[in-house]
Amino acid sequence: MRTTPSPPHPVSGGKENHYRMNRHIRYAAMLLVVAAFAALAAGCGSKKSSTSTTTTTSSGGTNSAVGSGTYDNGSSKKGGIYRIGWEQSFGFTNNFDPTGEYLGNAWGLYSNLMLRSLVGYKHLPGAAGNETIGDLATDVPKPTDGGLTYTYTLRDGIKWGPPVNRAVTSKDVAYAMNRLANPKDGGQYSFYYTDIVGWDAVASGTAKTISGITTPDDKTIVFKLTKPVGDFNLRMSMPATAPIPSEVGDCFEGKPGDYGRDVVSNGPYMLQGMDAVKLPCSALKPASGYAGANGNHLILVRNPNYDQSTDAYRKNYPDQFAFRVNSNADDIFAQVKAGTLEDEVSSPQPKTIRDYATDPSLNPKMIPNVGDRTNYFTMNLTQPPFDDVHVRKAMNWIVDKSALQKAWGGPIPGAIANHIVPPVLYQNGLAEYDPYATPNHAGDLAKAQAEMKLSKYDPGKTGKCTASACKGVLVIADTRAVDTRMVPLLQADAAKIGLTLTVRSINGAYTTIQTPAKNIPMSERPSWGKDFADPGTFFSLLFHSKAIIKDGNTNYSLVGITPAIAAKVGAKGNLTGVPSVDPDIDKCQGELGDARTTCWENLDKKLMEQVVPWVPYLWPNNVFIIGPTVTHWNYDQFTDGPAYSSVSVK
Amino acid sequence: MSSARQGTAHDGTLLEVRGLTVRFPTSDGVVQAVSDVTFSLSRGETLGVVGESGSGKSVSNLAIMGLLNRQRTAISGQVEFMGRDLLTLPQDELRHIRGKDIAMVFQDPFACLHPMYRVGAQIAEAVTAHQDVSNDAAWARAVELLEHVGIPNAKSRARDYPHQFSGGMRQRAMIAMALVHNPSILICDEPTTALDVTVQAQIIELIEEVKREFDIGVILVTHDLGVVAETANSVMVMYAGRVMEYGPARQVFEQPQHPYAWGLLDSMPSVERRLSALVPIEGSPPSLLAPPSGCPFHPRCRYRFEPCPTERPPLVAPVPDAHPDACWLKWDDKVREAAKRSVTRLGDAA
Amino acid sequence: MTLYIARRLVWTIVVVACVLAITFAVFYLLPAGDPALRFAGKSPTDAELVQIHKRLGLDRPWYVQFGKFSEGFVVGDKFGWPGLGYTYAGQTSVKSLIVARAPRTLLLIAGAAIIWLVVGVAVGVLSAVKRRTIVDRAAMGLALVGISTPVFWLGLMALFIFWRQLGWTAGTGYVSPVDSPTGFLSHMILPWIVLALLYAAFYARMTRNNLLETLGEDYIRTARAKGLPERSVIFKHGLRASLTPIVTMFGLDIALLVGGAVITESVFNIQGLGYLAINSALQQDLPIVVGVVLLASVAVALANLIVDILYAFIDPRVRYA
Repeated sequence: MRTTPSPPHPVSGGKENHYRMNRHIRYAAMLLVVAAFAALAAGCGSKKSSTSTTTTTSSGGTNSAVGSGTYDNGSSKKGGIYRIGWEQSFGFTNNFDPTGEYLGNAWGLYSNLMLRSLVGYKHLPGAAGNETIGDLATDVPKPTDGGLTYTYTLRDGIKWGPPVNRAVTSKDVAYAMNRLANPKDGGQYSFYYTDIVGWDAVASGTAKTISGITTPDDKTIVFKLTKPVGDFNLRMSMPATAPIPSEVGDCFEGKPGDYGRDVVSNGPYMLQGMDAVKLPCSALKPASGYAGANGNHLILVRNPNYDQSTDAYRKNYPDQFAFRVNSNADDIFAQVKAGTLEDEVSSPQPKTIRDYATDPSLNPKMIPNVGDRTNYFTMNLTQPPFDDVHVRKAMNWIVDKSALQKAWGGPIPGAIANHIVPPVLYQNGLAEYDPYATPNHAGDLAKAQAEMKLSKYDPGKTGKCTASACKGVLVIADTRAVDTRMVPLLQADAAKIGLTLTVRSINGAYTTIQTPAKNIPMSERPSWGKDFADPGTFFSLLFHSKAIIKDGNTNYSLVGITPAIAAKVGAKGNLTGVPSVDPDIDKCQGELGDARTTCWENLDKKLMEQVVPWVPYLWPNNVFIIGPTVTHWNYDQFTDGPAYSSVSVK
Repeated sequence: MSSARQGTAHDGTLLEVRGLTVRFPTSDGVVQAVSDVTFSLSRGETLGVVGESGSGKSVSNLAIMGLLNRQRTAISGQVEFMGRDLLTLPQDELRHIRGKDIAMVFQDPFACLHPMYRVGAQIAEAVTAHQDVSNDAAWARAVELLEHVGIPNAKSRARDYPHQFSGGMRQRAMIAMALVHNPSILICDEPTTALDVTVQAQIIELIEEVKREFDIGVILVTHDLGVVAETANSVMVMYAGRVMEYGPARQVFEQPQHPYAWGLLDSMPSVERRLSALVPIEGSPPSLLAPPSGCPFHPRCRYRFEPCPTERPPLVAPVPDAHPDACWLKWDDKVREAAKRSVTRLGDAA
Repeated sequence: MTLYIARRLVWTIVVVACVLAITFAVFYLLPAGDPALRFAGKSPTDAELVQIHKRLGLDRPWYVQFGKFSEGFVVGDKFGWPGLGYTYAGQTSVKSLIVARAPRTLLLIAGAAIIWLVVGVAVGVLSAVKRRTIVDRAAMGLALVGISTPVFWLGLMALFIFWRQLGWTAGTGYVSPVDSPTGFLSHMILPWIVLALLYAAFYARMTRNNLLETLGEDYIRTARAKGLPERSVIFKHGLRASLTPIVTMFGLDIALLVGGAVITESVFNIQGLGYLAINSALQQDLPIVVGVVLLASVAVALANLIVDILYAFIDPRVRYA
């Protein structure tokens, strides 16, 4: 029991009024503190009053926002370290092992800096950047034997870096191809090469080497095909086809991914620390310059055995490339602006784009480039209500693409898409082709309703879908910031023609929509980019029935599905009458040159007007932001990234 | 062990309190905890301060010790000790007196000892607070004092923690802690309330022994009249922060003059009186925020009459030989009522 | 006492085993998708997927995988002891990854912990002693701000003000103290403060409340009555008694940060354990997640044990209870 009353309040006797006034002062002071913080936060938030005046016109879905894809202030010179901030984590699909590595950013490093494959590119922006040249080979050969034989002659003077230190031979190329065919070595795009004679035997494990690849001497390699493949040269430009020295490669036989830490270079740069790597296999340690896909650095230094005179297109200015992972994306751009980084592997947020667009001193450092990619909404042809072509067409009429473009940040992040493949891949063919053209790309309610009236799901001909199949249609979306902006727009548009969409947002939506057995009617997420500069890299993997697989399926619309295929992959739904474009694709694949391009263009039209599997809405640009110390930078159209072989730093 | 005789007035007065008033401002108003308390204390004297909880008896002592927060409390009056007014002394000077010249023992020894330090260490701490001695010397003194207050095996018990002591032993330890510097005044605030009845007697006896041995003045605060009856030399009855009656113990017990004192005596069981039912005082103590006007006891007083609610009776002796009380009743009425309740204390008989 | 510790150690092992089992179950039994697809690139063939499953060890049923993992953990695998397997993405040993990153996280925690303990307790004491004055109100107001402010905002603001605008500190990233002590401090000072601020605020409030409560106890009055200087009363008597809950919380807070300082690590690009775990979870690189979860749960369990033992030392009453 406490007998002392506890003395409670601050003021000494008789000054009750004083005390009450103190209380008011107290509240006022607290309010002031809160207000001060709010002002501070607001001030820091809107440092630049973004008047969001776009520097380009937004009408027309053309690439009016894209310039030359180049920055140059005339003072390129050798030397310096080029530092790149890489967002979140490397994300390599095969730990930087070229046999299976499919990440586009990794290809940028291989193609520009480390691996010279038989066929290469000039590392330029635009159409010039998609033209093939002989890189390891002396030139790009024409096929003989009615398109069945390709013979390559290797260039002189190309040597392996440490620890191999000898001339590259044709056997090294054959070794790499065998590795690619061997299912135990982790190849992820071997399907491009199944037309080589003897490939399947190795793929099924019955042979060790591909009979259709022969090396008459150290400088010559011959490929025999089972049938003509019009873009075979393009396929031989991909990093998995670059040679691999067996001295090191054998150490990693059957261990996909591990080679990534000891990639031997035949290009201008190599992994830092390769000079300390020792053979034989028992003594082999990973190079210090790369700590694995879970690590946070990848450093490239000059390859001492590289001969610049053998290379007409790579400039190789910096002495070192330092790629470092940064968990804070904002910080990457802050550092680029501050000059502690030169370049970034990241996606600028709309606010950053606005800042650079409106500030004349920063504007030249932001370089938008045509990316060979399409963003689209996919519709599953087997799931109601999308099993009705009129509903699919109505969706193409009603979607407000200009609003979606705004959600992405305006014309700089991308141009409005009107068909499947971006025009640049047709050498600007189909540039004006817009089968569902609407005023200002804002959608056309009248045309959408007219189309809907033809649908069996609108028996009353109201112009809106009245059937129950249109209520609560499942749509899978992703959780990125831009998805949260697009979803409400899509829902509002669909509602205008009577479709109510139930949207499920999933982090990493791809894994869900790549499983046909889940029978997803629609997805907001997909985006498809080329593997190399041929439209076939779109059509074959997106619309051929052979591409429909149980896991990792990319023919989301299930074009060409048959009940047999459906049973194999576990898909259910309306399987009758699903259109197929298999014959069209197969035919175009055999064509060459302009005939090939025209063939693909016609297929594009057929898909947009008769099959209608998608609502394409954006051809996104690749926007890069470079730092103040960069003296030269240009886009590499093949890798859809910076042409590291041309950049220069102060 | 001689006791210091500094600061003693020629008649042995140690402490003179005049008009002590303590007020606490709160958000609900001003609490008038203590009003106009006046008393004195001499060597060898035990002053028993009696009253219900909330009567202001503890607060007065805290005010004397300087244990009230001066910034939040309005204290006025005079507390003269060793020629100085303690109420005007600065804190650091007061600190040198506290625990050294005036020591205090509190009610609940379990809560009053720090649970995480050894008993001996806490007593040794009291030593080093006022004397610059080595830790060993301080510890030795602690053990010595523990022995003195009757703790068996003092040397090893000193290393124990408070929760290992029984209630009575803890109080002995508190007393030991208070005696470290041979204080002139020992204030005991309800020292036995938390203890068993058998232990109570031991503690009271200990205090008395200590008083005799060191020739000090003791202020013994309690609500238990029985304790006061045995040991006090003078008694001060407090109610609602004021002194109701103050005088030599024998007088207060044999001729109580205030209705509150009568009520207290009525409610006290005693073998002396005929066995009748205990008579409690009706009602409850007033709120100190708004004490009753006039006599603070009047709402509960059976004898109240016309002046009581409006005019406060001063603390004066009604007739020259009597001790002061604060009541408007006529002297004859007081004598009559006192006669009904007079208590002859054991030891005072004859 | 030894028996008590032994019993608690056994219980710790049981708890860690349970956490491990639950983690495995969560990742393997809940339908989060096939991690092999993540590493299979575009449009893999069935054969490729089979190969990847085999390489990642996903072709076995989950209980077999758990069994192999437990065996490796107890006995060790080819990377030494404890065997934590190797990552899907990088095919590197989880143990080496954790060992490489752990010092960053531990140093981050250590620095922040010292700051928040000292600052938090000091502010709390000051607040309690100067109760209801402007000092107290300001301190508790700041504490409220510290508790309410999201860590990521604080971190970004700190970077913006102290690095971008003022140039007083280095920016994001981590420099090992072995390589450059000044670089290390310059990089860590902001993350330390940002991480410490939230906890300092909690500890300030807690210290203030505990100390206020303690200062109302009777033994404080006794200490004053003894004539002790006020400093002694507050620190030796008051703080000592009110510190026990703070100490126990301290141990647990540190342990939880081992896997939990994710936001600070992300904002400041420290590449520590927390960020590693979250990133790996998003990429479905399960062995890493399991490894970090294991480490974190061991840390928490051990911290519990240590804190319980410490408590018995600090408060003698508990010893004999």
